[in-house]
Amino acid sequence: MAEDRITDIGPPHYEQFLPPVIKANYGKWKYHEIPRPGVLKHVSESGDELYTVRCGAGRLLTTDYVREVCDIADKFCDGHVRWTSRNNIEFLTPKKENVEPLIAAIKAQGWPVGGTGHAVTSIVHTQGWIHCHTPAIDASGIVKSVMDDLFEYFGEHRLPAQVRISLACCLNMCGAVHCSDIAILGIHRTPPKIFHDKLRHVCEIPTTIAACPTGAIRPHPDKSIKSVVVNEERCMYCGNCYTMCPAMPLFDPDKGGVALLIGGKVSNAKHPPMFSRLGVPYLPNNPPRWPEVCQAIRKILLAYVNGANKWERLGEWITRIGWSRFFEICDIPFTFQHIDDYKWAYDTYNTSMHFKF
Amino acid sequence: MADSVSKEELVESIYQEVAKVQGKKQLKAGDLTKLMIKKYGDAVSKNDVKFAIKELIDSGRCVYTYFGGSFIELPHEEGAAKHI
Amino acid sequence: MSDTPLLDQLETGPWPSFIADLKRMAAKKPQIKDLLGQLERSYEEKITHWKHGGIVGVLGYGSGIIGRYSDLPDDFPGLEHFHTMRINQPSGWFYTTAALRMLCDIWDQYGSGVMNMHGSTGDIIFLGTTTDNLEPCFQALARNGFDIGGSGSAMRSPSCCCGLSRCEWSCYDTMEACYDITQEFQFELHRPGFPYKFKFKFSGCPNDCVAAVARADCSVIGVWKDDIRIDQAAVKAYAGGELKPKGGGAHVDKLDIQKDVVDLCPTQCMSWDGSTLKINNRECNHCMHCINLMPQALRPGTDKGATILLGSHAPILEGAQMSWVIVPFMRMEKPFDELKELGANIMEWWTENGKNRERVGELILRLGMREFCLAVGLDPVPQSIKTPRCNPFFFWHPEDFEAEAEGKTYIKL
Ligand code: SF4
Ligand code: SF4
Ligand code: SF4
Ligand code: SF4
Repeated sequence: MAEDRITDIGPPHYEQFLPPVIKANYGKWKYHEIPRPGVLKHVSESGDELYTVRCGAGRLLTTDYVREVCDIADKFCDGHVRWTSRNNIEFLTPKKENVEPLIAAIKAQGWPVGGTGHAVTSIVHTQGWIHCHTPAIDASGIVKSVMDDLFEYFGEHRLPAQVRISLACCLNMCGAVHCSDIAILGIHRTPPKIFHDKLRHVCEIPTTIAACPTGAIRPHPDKSIKSVVVNEERCMYCGNCYTMCPAMPLFDPDKGGVALLIGGKVSNAKHPPMFSRLGVPYLPNNPPRWPEVCQAIRKILLAYVNGANKWERLGEWITRIGWSRFFEICDIPFTFQHIDDYKWAYDTYNTSMHFKF
Repeated sequence: MADSVSKEELVESIYQEVAKVQGKKQLKAGDLTKLMIKKYGDAVSKNDVKFAIKELIDSGRCVYTYFGGSFIELPHEEGAAKHI
Repeated sequence: MSDTPLLDQLETGPWPSFIADLKRMAAKKPQIKDLLGQLERSYEEKITHWKHGGIVGVLGYGSGIIGRYSDLPDDFPGLEHFHTMRINQPSGWFYTTAALRMLCDIWDQYGSGVMNMHGSTGDIIFLGTTTDNLEPCFQALARNGFDIGGSGSAMRSPSCCCGLSRCEWSCYDTMEACYDITQEFQFELHRPGFPYKFKFKFSGCPNDCVAAVARADCSVIGVWKDDIRIDQAAVKAYAGGELKPKGGGAHVDKLDIQKDVVDLCPTQCMSWDGSTLKINNRECNHCMHCINLMPQALRPGTDKGATILLGSHAPILEGAQMSWVIVPFMRMEKPFDELKELGANIMEWWTENGKNRERVGELILRLGMREFCLAVGLDPVPQSIKTPRCNPFFFWHPEDFEAEAEGKTYIKL
């Protein structure tokens, strides 16, 4: 039996999944256009055309949903479909006449078409309360709420440049969000609580101590207790100890919440890639619709739309006007949390007279 | 290599190292490689250890675990799976 | 009265509702009813109800399965064991519906029917199954050509942009490189032996659509060395407004070539006299700005390859890093031997020297670029820095003195 096991075959080769028009024009694409929001037209050296209809989606889907995607792709795309790096679904067809009925079928399904060019495209995100053990916040629920709120910006090219929003539900950031125009980050703000009675039974003390990246955990000074203590000043609320030891949860339902980091990007166009920087240190964790988070993002986005020059990414706009002006425009009070005091803090201090009042 | 180590011996030796520290310390594949090279010197290579670990895991006597890093341990019940 | 009054509020609004989707599944699968019940509880209490599990897996692999247990198994028995499986995605996330339906059938049979398309690293994620189902699910997938992806202190499933398959800007075959590298490192992907995770990401041009610079330890970003190809007639059509900026993807209808393109070129290497666009290509830093604005007029050159950057990771632990240039230009042709060799050297040095949970980018900062470059066989190149050091604490090694004895000087006079 074990003999028949198949292992280490790796992923299937992509070629078997490519539409014929792509196989025929692989490496021969000449240019593309975006004839309307959500639709890409690629033209090959050979004159062949490929139409892509981009459809917004969350990343959490059921097999029913995926089969509905398949039904549409079977009907209009000869069974070919792909996903983008930002959870969008792309329906691919060489037939121009299929584009309108394809869009109609997607819309009939209640799915949005857009996410191209100067739009807010789908939010990349992590698991949240649906499947992870360290989140400070949910993921899919906040993403749904924010996209509902910004829906008008998904289906139209109305922004000075593209805006990429990402969400990570704890600072482990398993979906690294640290170079996003707007990063929604779940934050814990209190050190783990230790349940000494339970810890003794379910945790290995040496490995729990070793799990803390900042060395904040020590054996309990009273050896008879057989537990650990946390040096709270050193704790950065990462939850690694909880991963090792379920008797040390660090959740505080009232104090946990959301921080917004602003102004990052990965593209090299004009400015080099930039990190997102702390914009709003804390917003309440307010399910099911997180109104404060939605409002704060909308406020920042509108300030950007009003203030940015053509082609300026959010971070480029802030770089031009300066962070102090950004905080002023967005009504964000400046706090100690905004001033870096971690490892490379000095790089962020202003050593010039270049500032504004 | 004159004093080469048999694969069985290497596998057993790795198993003993894991068993010795179970519950006290978690060993990574890299730790085991260093331990074996310390023990056997030139008689084993990194690659020998790599495939000995594979054999040990394939046999089910040891398993990979993940607790903020991947380790090689004896199979045991998961703390988190316990009903408490 | 609904069991999930809070979640129900996520069924309204124009964006697709994951709650509506899950509810349909709940009608068929009792564990999804439990999943919604537990999620509702999290919405009420504002805390998660999952516990981590670090032991489950399939025989032989240490990767790709993440254990999950509910901390409310009495209330939600369907979630007592609810493990995640990562399935290595095909390059570029292309599928046929036949393959997708096959994946759905397998997951309906062996799991919850809930999935992520896709997880943060790029894998297809199957959310929620029991320990007993892991092996049969894995083997059903394997018989149909799919394998489990990476997790833990292993190579993670590499990912790539769609590259040559649909993008005129791609400077190498990202999809083939991704596939080939994934196959090359199957052992490292399935059997965690590194200090921590290691990610490869492949973007075809400096637009970096898969965020390689921010999200991959080894970021492979396409680039060209020669001249940007210009179609002057098309430039004029942009100037005249017949062609729309960004192919129609912008908020404005007409380009001002001087203001929008030339003046914003970061290296100031372009000029426009009203009829001809000139680029001093030697000074271009291939930022892509002008090409992005005028896709029908400008294209990357034809002498193409990739830049290799190394070291990015999320903030844990030393603070977030982006990858930095270690090889300014590498030819990227099948079978990608140069990249494979460099990758293997990097992994070996890092495995030898890295501490538990130390990413390769952190290790380089701890031990220094000199040690790293010497270990993996790279020369110092000015493209790898933004500026040289401003401190006087540079060190000299016997090799430096030997080189000097053999005539090495530090400026040619
Ligand atoms: S960001 Fe943190 S809480 Fe969220 S899914 Fe990743 S590890 Fe889990
Ligand atoms: S939360 Fe993180 S930093 Fe705080 S004690 Fe636990 S492991 Fe250490
Ligand atoms: S990274 Fe460049 S080559 Fe790849 S899809 Fe994006 S724009 Fe095209
Ligand atoms: S790619 Fe960037 S640097 Fe090069 S010519 Fe165009 S705008 Fe200037």
